[in-house]
Amino acid sequence: MATEKEGFVDIEPQIFEKEYLKPVHKVGFWTCIGISAAMFIPPLLLYLIYGTFAPWEAIGAGMALALTYAVPFFFIEPISYYPVYGDAGNYMSMTTGNVSNLRLPCAAVAQAVAGVPEGTRKGAAIAAIGIAVSVLFGVIGVFIGTLTGGWVTAQFPQWLTEAFKQYLLPAVWGAVFGQFALRGPAYALPALIIAGIPLMLGLKAYFTIPIAVFGTILFGWALYKWRNITPAGGG
Amino acid sequence: MDWKVIANAPWIWIAGFIQAGIGMFQAWYFLRLGTRILEKHGGYTSKDIGAIARGAFITAIGPILAEIFVMMALVIAISPGYTWQREGVGVGSVFTELVQASNSAVGAGQEFGADSFNIVGFATAVFVANISCIGWSLGAALFTPYLGKAREKIARGDIRFLAVITVCSTLGIFGYYAANEMKKGGGKLVAVIAGAIISAFLFKLADWIKRPRLKEWALGIAMFAAMYIAHLFAGAS
Repeated sequence: MATEKEGFVDIEPQIFEKEYLKPVHKVGFWTCIGISAAMFIPPLLLYLIYGTFAPWEAIGAGMALALTYAVPFFFIEPISYYPVYGDAGNYMSMTTGNVSNLRLPCAAVAQAVAGVPEGTRKGAAIAAIGIAVSVLFGVIGVFIGTLTGGWVTAQFPQWLTEAFKQYLLPAVWGAVFGQFALRGPAYALPALIIAGIPLMLGLKAYFTIPIAVFGTILFGWALYKWRNITPAGGG
Repeated sequence: MDWKVIANAPWIWIAGFIQAGIGMFQAWYFLRLGTRILEKHGGYTSKDIGAIARGAFITAIGPILAEIFVMMALVIAISPGYTWQREGVGVGSVFTELVQASNSAVGAGQEFGADSFNIVGFATAVFVANISCIGWSLGAALFTPYLGKAREKIARGDIRFLAVITVCSTLGIFGYYAANEMKKGGGKLVAVIAGAIISAFLFKLADWIKRPRLKEWALGIAMFAAMYIAHLFAGAS
């Protein structure tokens, strides 16, 4: 596995299509339909057991606010994240959420451990393994966390809990950025600048994220086309 | 009956178990599928797969702990049962959930977390949070195959360009999140910079000293170390 970088051979496309992608799409489709349907269970149970149903005006107003916030992300997230985690990764991420703070870092580390070049079929299968592990572990962690209520968190000193709330996410963003800056040093600073300008202008996240992603891809494409520069490859 | 009792009754835990069951089955199936194709046609051994899974596991510790800490806001404001149902396989992150619960409360003419929040606000939150996130899962069900086709079309099978797209989109995504935190300055700026430097150093170090196993730990160590450095900085300033 450590030799992945030298003489890398990817999985045959036909085999990958037949033995991996086909079942991924089949199970991905049905589990995503299943989870979408299962989202109706809580309001339905609340109504059937307790006879409580939210007033339609409240639902209308709440949904309007919620969708204004969420709808742009329905499109932006899968399109922006897909090149990193592939098909299985998309089904899992859109089912379980916590994409940028948990799924993507786990996919990135999995690929780095394997030393696999980016954008390959092997890379997609490896990212899927990384994300699947994060899902299984995450569900168990959340279950324990909620079951014990505040007990687990109360075991940590106050300063540590605060540090987690304040600084863990910025540390995750920085750490993944650092890892990939190593793989593509030529794109690192431009990526920050491309994201930074719309941020400074105060544009909303659903404008800034696509600008950051596609702007950086466009920059990478220009370097590739005119200077033949590509990422370092592998872990 | 007090709405807080209803909000933690068995029905919501059961609903959470059904949703988590689907999510876990999906993850378990893809884990098995990925492992099988890599072992059968990719030249990977079960030991290699173990290393990959271990790397992901170590990396997940920090973000999951952070999720649990932040999640407590939801446990306190609504209930453990609701938190389990929304966060077990909840499509949104904890932050999204808090925003959606607040949106629902506003829709019901109440304020999330305030005394005015009652069964009406809760029922609205249950409906809005669950139904509004279907867009993600339904979108994935219907459009995932097309994402691959679109990427193939753009890259036209050029492996080197596919690598450019992958690395650039990752740097674009994390560049956005990093820049957004850096803008806030102080400890957050320190956390981003320290995270980037430590992680890049550890990944490089693993190659220099020829210890590939260090890569399994690199992101996990970088996250915790950067968080601690930021805490020290904030305490000192």
